[in-house]
Amino acid sequence: MRAEARLSAWLSDLVGYLPLAILIGVLAYISLNAPNFLTLRNLELVLMQSLPVVLVCAGLAVVVMAGGDDVVSGGIDLSIPATAVLSAGITAQMLTLGYPLALCAVAALVACLVVGVINAALVSRIGMTPLLTTLAMFVAVVGVNNVVTASRRINVDHPWILALREAEIGGMPLGIVLVVMIVGTLFVAAHQTRWGLNLQAAGGSRDAAEISGINPGRLVGQSFVVAAVTGFVCGFFVLARGSGSSPGVQDNLMLEMVLATFLGAAFSPRRVVTLWGAVLGAVLVAAISIGFKSMGVNVFWTGLIKGSLIVVVVAFSAMAQRGR
Amino acid sequence: MERERLTLRHVVLRFGFLIVFAAFFVLFSVWNPVFLNGGNLLNIVEGSAILMIVALGLTLVVATGGIDLSIGIALDFGAAFAVVAMSGYGMGWFGAACIGVIGGSLVGLVNALLVVGLRITPFLATLSTFFIGSSVQRIFTNGGGPISYRRMPTEFRNIAQGDIFGIPSEAVIAAVLVVIYYIVLERSIWGRRIHAMGMQRSAAIVAGIRVNRILVLCFVTAAMTCAVGGLIAAANIRMFTPLSGFSYLLDAIAAVFIGAALHPRGRPNVLGTVAGVLFLGMVANGLNLMGLNFNTKDALQGIILVSALALAVAQRRARTG
Repeated sequence: MRAEARLSAWLSDLVGYLPLAILIGVLAYISLNAPNFLTLRNLELVLMQSLPVVLVCAGLAVVVMAGGDDVVSGGIDLSIPATAVLSAGITAQMLTLGYPLALCAVAALVACLVVGVINAALVSRIGMTPLLTTLAMFVAVVGVNNVVTASRRINVDHPWILALREAEIGGMPLGIVLVVMIVGTLFVAAHQTRWGLNLQAAGGSRDAAEISGINPGRLVGQSFVVAAVTGFVCGFFVLARGSGSSPGVQDNLMLEMVLATFLGAAFSPRRVVTLWGAVLGAVLVAAISIGFKSMGVNVFWTGLIKGSLIVVVVAFSAMAQRGR
Repeated sequence: MERERLTLRHVVLRFGFLIVFAAFFVLFSVWNPVFLNGGNLLNIVEGSAILMIVALGLTLVVATGGIDLSIGIALDFGAAFAVVAMSGYGMGWFGAACIGVIGGSLVGLVNALLVVGLRITPFLATLSTFFIGSSVQRIFTNGGGPISYRRMPTEFRNIAQGDIFGIPSEAVIAAVLVVIYYIVLERSIWGRRIHAMGMQRSAAIVAGIRVNRILVLCFVTAAMTCAVGGLIAAANIRMFTPLSGFSYLLDAIAAVFIGAALHPRGRPNVLGTVAGVLFLGMVANGLNLMGLNFNTKDALQGIILVSALALAVAQRRARTG
């Protein structure tokens, strides 16, 4: 009896490692078939490509930490990609009109903070579910951005923005260094500070947090503002990656954000969304997209591959959860 | 028993959403008298038909406590199967319509397999169905080009463009589906069971409701309903446009949740969904008649959507305390 229980726990542990093993297997398969994939230059390309998604994933992870990880009723912020695109749109449009970069950044930051505060107010004051709120805000913010940019592509060649893509600092690309610093700061804030521990307590068990004197509504609200700020920063990386703002970036960004963040949950021992898991998920998703592209796989198939990956990874992590 | 006082606050909270509905109605009719035209009001109903059908399907899934992000794929599949059945295999209009609905039901079957069989949460399961379904359409059409079939049988075209006693047939189809959904979901034992599992799943299981069977049926029925919407879309433009279903997703979600917010206990319900769809249709039509720039119209529509949802939820909370 005892041995059986131990065997089943061991089996479920094994199943728990399968999601990561499958992804590593896919990457190994790619690197065997696309010889250039494992070069340092290409890995750097993968990291650079993943930066915007990494940033929005980090923001989403903070929101999920505060709101709990039930996808429908817990914390989720689908509006971050729209916020990012708004930040990019405002900055690009104002640069074209000849304003200095600092002023553009301030205007974009204010707009993004407004989005974050509206999200926060609707969720913690009025009590709308985050999924519904942020989905509707996504539509509204994209609409506003289309007014700002008149739905046109705007080229940006400001040296400071292109520096995010091209400049190096101590041999490392500046963009990667900056994103590592931002994610590191968020990590310290979420795991080492009193605020972060309260945030995680609120997400872990709302009632228990409330009884011990934490105000979960306030923390949830703050998490939306943090997410809006990551969206603001992401806007600049979107500008750098695409040499400007183009309409429609938000859709792919949103799908990749959700994919990466919830894939990331499959890597954590307790199957919850974590900051590192989300970031790792974003990098792996970028690696797989670029990998299949360099293998010469038809781009029409990428959606099929991504969808199947979610199914496989999430199904295994659900199985491991049940085995416990 | 204390009599309810009719203070202003009370009226606003009780009828807030209806007041907004009426206010927009008055605003649009003052702005452009054409809005009030019988023909234009019929336009609103006709133009909302597909959204209405898709939103009904979504209402069913949301009532079970889940969500379906792949309703647009079911719509696309319905259109694709029907058009290909006619153009590629020379099938008659009725056979093609049936094939379309069966094609759409495949999407529901995949969802049911993922949610019930593999126990993936509906959000992630239907998101992956969405990814896979979009990709399948791209592969099938070699990148997303439309499949046109100009010589479509008149009977099939009449699904969208015909009329029954002067009422556009798509509006009739939507109305019939509304009645069926209303009877099943709000007035029958099946509807009771669906709502029961949506509210308290574990209690429903204890009470002996076969939760998994209901989930499978709801996902498949919802997908088949959306496929009917796809038939109308295909008949309207006499072609299948890949990935066109996605545009209905956000509006359908908004309509269902506006409807849920109007319900005393916040449950998704058929009549609420109808109100939500008509509200969205009215706003889109009214803004069009204002002659605004396309982008401005889009942005206003989004802002009105957020405000309407916020108001509807605030109203419900104030009422239930």
